[in-house]
Amino acid sequence: MLLEQGPASTINYMIMGFAVILGTIALYIVSLRVRFQNFRKDQAVLDEIED
Amino acid sequence: MKPMPSILKVLNWLTGAVFAVALYLVFFYAPREAVMGEVQRVFYFHVAAGWVGALAFLITAIAGGIVLARGDHRWDRVALVSVEIGVVFTLINIVSGAIWARPIWNTWWTWDPRLTTATIMELIYIAYLMLRQGIEDPDRRARFGAVYGIVGFISVPLTFLSIRIFRTIHPVVIGNNDPTAEGTFDMTPKMQTAFFFSLITFTFVYATLLWHRLRLQDFKEYIEERKMQALNT
Repeated sequence: MLLEQGPASTINYMIMGFAVILGTIALYIVSLRVRFQNFRKDQAVLDEIED
Repeated sequence: MKPMPSILKVLNWLTGAVFAVALYLVFFYAPREAVMGEVQRVFYFHVAAGWVGALAFLITAIAGGIVLARGDHRWDRVALVSVEIGVVFTLINIVSGAIWARPIWNTWWTWDPRLTTATIMELIYIAYLMLRQGIEDPDRRARFGAVYGIVGFISVPLTFLSIRIFRTIHPVVIGNNDPTAEGTFDMTPKMQTAFFFSLITFTFVYATLLWHRLRLQDFKEYIEERKMQALNT
């Protein structure tokens, strides 16, 4: 019966699923970048203090 | 901060390329599943994210073993950063599973053995990250992390085997399904290609992120050391 009707319309859930998957990976990469930048700023301050 | 090694630059591009191919396979090459429709495509990255979680926690356990055997703190860094990545990917696995479950099981969440053990595993490793921060002495912290990483790893095979041991509605991808499982499907050869390629792709993503996160950890420790020196002078 289900096959006769064709697949269920679940495209919205697919979009939501991939938004979560790709969005979380992207957020993690951004967090790595932000942390790198913060440490670079700390390094610049330390260089200034030592000079 | 050391400049980025050439091999890491190559790995960045390679991972990006492999990821693009995986997206093509998932969205355009693999056929639409006959009953579940488009949401079944989430399955490829859902399982791959779970695989990365398990792999990351395995690396943590192995690194913990090396810390205990050799007392080498470099491996404590590997264990720590691997847990962080594992927690992120296990979260992706759990949340994407809940989104798939809504149209297929008609609920976002149920306390099924697989969902329960996966959640416990995630909480165990979140606790690892929190508890570590409370230990000041680096030697004690490394030993604690090593023992915790090894003992905590018990939750990984338990999560993997939960759908094979207990009565469950969660589908089994490899092996026989429980008759009560809901949302099962037979993978066509094209689906299998997309599935196994997704596993390889996420392994590349893990390796790349691990390397970057290790570099960040080294940089962090270098800055902290310099801050201590600046305070003492």
